[in-house]
Amino acid sequence: MPPLARLYVRTAFVYLIGGFLLLALIALDDWLRISRWLGVATITQLHLLMVGWITQLAIGVAYWMFPRLLKKNNPNPHGSDALAWAVYICLNAGLVLRLAAEPFFRMTGQSWLAALVALSGVLQAAAAVGFGLLIWARIRPQE
Amino acid sequence: MPTATRMCVKASILYLILGAVLGAVLLINGWLPLGPAITYVKPAHVHFLVIGWLTQLILGVAWWLFPPMAFRLRGQDYPHGQAQRGSEPLFWVTFALLNAGVLLYALGEPLYAWTGAGPLGGLVALSGLCLFAAALSFVVNLWGRVRRLGRGKT
Repeated sequence: MPPLARLYVRTAFVYLIGGFLLLALIALDDWLRISRWLGVATITQLHLLMVGWITQLAIGVAYWMFPRLLKKNNPNPHGSDALAWAVYICLNAGLVLRLAAEPFFRMTGQSWLAALVALSGVLQAAAAVGFGLLIWARIRPQE
Repeated sequence: MPTATRMCVKASILYLILGAVLGAVLLINGWLPLGPAITYVKPAHVHFLVIGWLTQLILGVAWWLFPPMAFRLRGQDYPHGQAQRGSEPLFWVTFALLNAGVLLYALGEPLYAWTGAGPLGGLVALSGLCLFAAALSFVVNLWGRVRRLGRGKT
């Protein structure tokens, strides 16, 4: 498994733990009313699991297992390292920004927090486009 | 990677991009209102990502990597080539039904929620039936490949 694929998969594991921890806290909050922040974090928690865990795991495994580019045409058989790093950074920056900003935006409705949440969406969309560009040439028959 | 898998994976990546862009538009709409109709695309955003992207990626990779068929029909040799994977025509039916279901839902649901027009509700119901049929055809096709590796083992 190449180092960057390991990083994707390990980061996905962190989101799995974080997502389920947040799920447990939200469930506790439903019962004990711990914090207002938890009361508005459900959508964010869902995205941590759907994007941070499942989608990131799928991206990491695809980067590892999909047929490699032919060496004679490409010195890097996994595709561009720079693009793979950009996808990783955009995806995780978007997710962390969303986790940091969205619950507070739902609590306060402040415009600058809405702008941060919008930026998190743009970063994640950029990661999706980048992943498409990174992996497209590797969706091919194996020689 | 077989042709059917390549089609599934490429389609799933297009849905990932579409779903993520729709998600970004929904979040931008929370900051700079783009119009009342924008919120109606939320179900399409969810379907693109959960079914179009993740489910379709899983289906395509399962078709590629699951153990080959181990049983043979009476009087015939073990299947070889693409036949080891199961029925390829049936897999294409799954692919067509899944994508028809996702696209019909993405088109029909927002329009139905917005207009309330009865025929559009029928379109949404049809999309659900397409997705159900896709799931059924996939499971029937792949059931025999969920097994230990090696001929004669089940």
